[in-house]
Amino acid sequence: MSFSETDVQNALKNLIDPNTKKDYVSGKSVKNIKVNGSDVSLDIMLGYPARSVWDDIRSMIETHLKASLKGIGKLSVNVSSKVVPHAVQRGVKLVEGVKNIIAVASGKGGVGKSTTAVNLALALAAEGARVGVLDADIYGPSQPTMLGISGQPKSVDGKSIEPMTNHGLQAMSIGFMIDGEDTPMVWRGPMVTQALDQLLHQTRWDNLDYLVVDLPPGTGDIQLTLAQKVPVTGAVIVTTPQDIALMDARKGLKMFEKVGIKIVGIVENMSTHICSKCGHEEHIFGAGGGEKMCGDYKVEFLGGLPLDIRIREQADSGNPTVVADPEGKIAKEYKQIARRIAVKVADMAQDHSAAFPKIVVQNT
Amino acid sequence: MSEQPTEIKLHQQSRLLEITFDDGVCFQLPYEFLRVYSPSAEVSGHGPGQEVLQTGKKDVGIKELIPIGSYAVQINFDDGHDTGLYTWEYLYKLGKNQSRLWQDYLDRLSAAGAVRE
Repeated sequence: MSFSETDVQNALKNLIDPNTKKDYVSGKSVKNIKVNGSDVSLDIMLGYPARSVWDDIRSMIETHLKASLKGIGKLSVNVSSKVVPHAVQRGVKLVEGVKNIIAVASGKGGVGKSTTAVNLALALAAEGARVGVLDADIYGPSQPTMLGISGQPKSVDGKSIEPMTNHGLQAMSIGFMIDGEDTPMVWRGPMVTQALDQLLHQTRWDNLDYLVVDLPPGTGDIQLTLAQKVPVTGAVIVTTPQDIALMDARKGLKMFEKVGIKIVGIVENMSTHICSKCGHEEHIFGAGGGEKMCGDYKVEFLGGLPLDIRIREQADSGNPTVVADPEGKIAKEYKQIARRIAVKVADMAQDHSAAFPKIVVQNT
Repeated sequence: MSEQPTEIKLHQQSRLLEITFDDGVCFQLPYEFLRVYSPSAEVSGHGPGQEVLQTGKKDVGIKELIPIGSYAVQINFDDGHDTGLYTWEYLYKLGKNQSRLWQDYLDRLSAAGAVRE
């Protein structure tokens, strides 16, 4: 029995990718279908990093094809990931060496933005993506400590700076430029925004799929500069379930809406507290706040993370949870959230509707 | 998100900014109209009632449009005014209410005894 390429395509149209919730054909993942008599070979190119589930996807597709194409002979399915660069807004220069920029923000301080940002970056890297972290918190840089990086970055040409690296991530922070942990940046707004601009554009990012920008809290200078001058693909909002944090998270979300940056979704941090003595799980900051906010603004709830002493200890010691305990329950949750973000970003990357309109000047 | 523009055309001779939105609506906004309704704090103030009446802008030209993020343009007029960031939402509102706003401007001009020239 022999098949045509269309038979294979039609069979794959009934198989839904559990990550994108779309079938592989309309998700444009199926490439290079080759049919030779009853033998079939094809490539699956995912738009998001997913190294840990490549094998699962391969066997799922093989099982599906064997079931739907009776008498199929040799079957070879090759699964890989390729992250596409996002649509560029006209006028905003694309950052060299960076395909996608994901901003991690919150309205309130202290909700765990930096911890979430670094763990999500590490989770994306664990799935096989090339990832960088830009610490945009000029007044209170945390990434050097959380990534366990010390020392100063080098410059090869005296104009640009090489990113620092650890745990497979490229990183840049104002924290690398200053001496001592207690040196404050006593700067007014314009200095801060210029520093951000330099950290972003003068770092020699090396072929990144994702640059995760860890933003300071609030809706001020840094956030506005990011919106106006930086080609952000989308923003992730971090909040706790507490009313007082949600109130500010809503403002953060509205700000991104105002300046035309798409919201990837909301991560609820400190969803529950797990007692380290008895293991009892309790909603100490209230329950369901993040989901409710997602419902109110029709954005995706990306996931919730517990208030667990290990997350704090591991981040403080420079070995965030995703690398300290990669197979643990919390790391799995971070990876799940990271995959949801990557899938969403892949969708956004292909959506050119938000690109800047064409400007034409006519002598009429 | 609200309506997104797909094209902005500057007609430099007739001094008209033509903007097309993705819902198919197209507005032709005279430069003078845009200039006297600049959203800049220098023109609009910091709230209702703080507007500063702009006069003598009949022949104002546009030197340049500068994209701001993906949500607005900064219009640089040839009289030096360049602090207004016109968001898509604001431009849509100007287009929708063009005749009423223009009449309102003319009324305020004559009430102040000022002229467009």
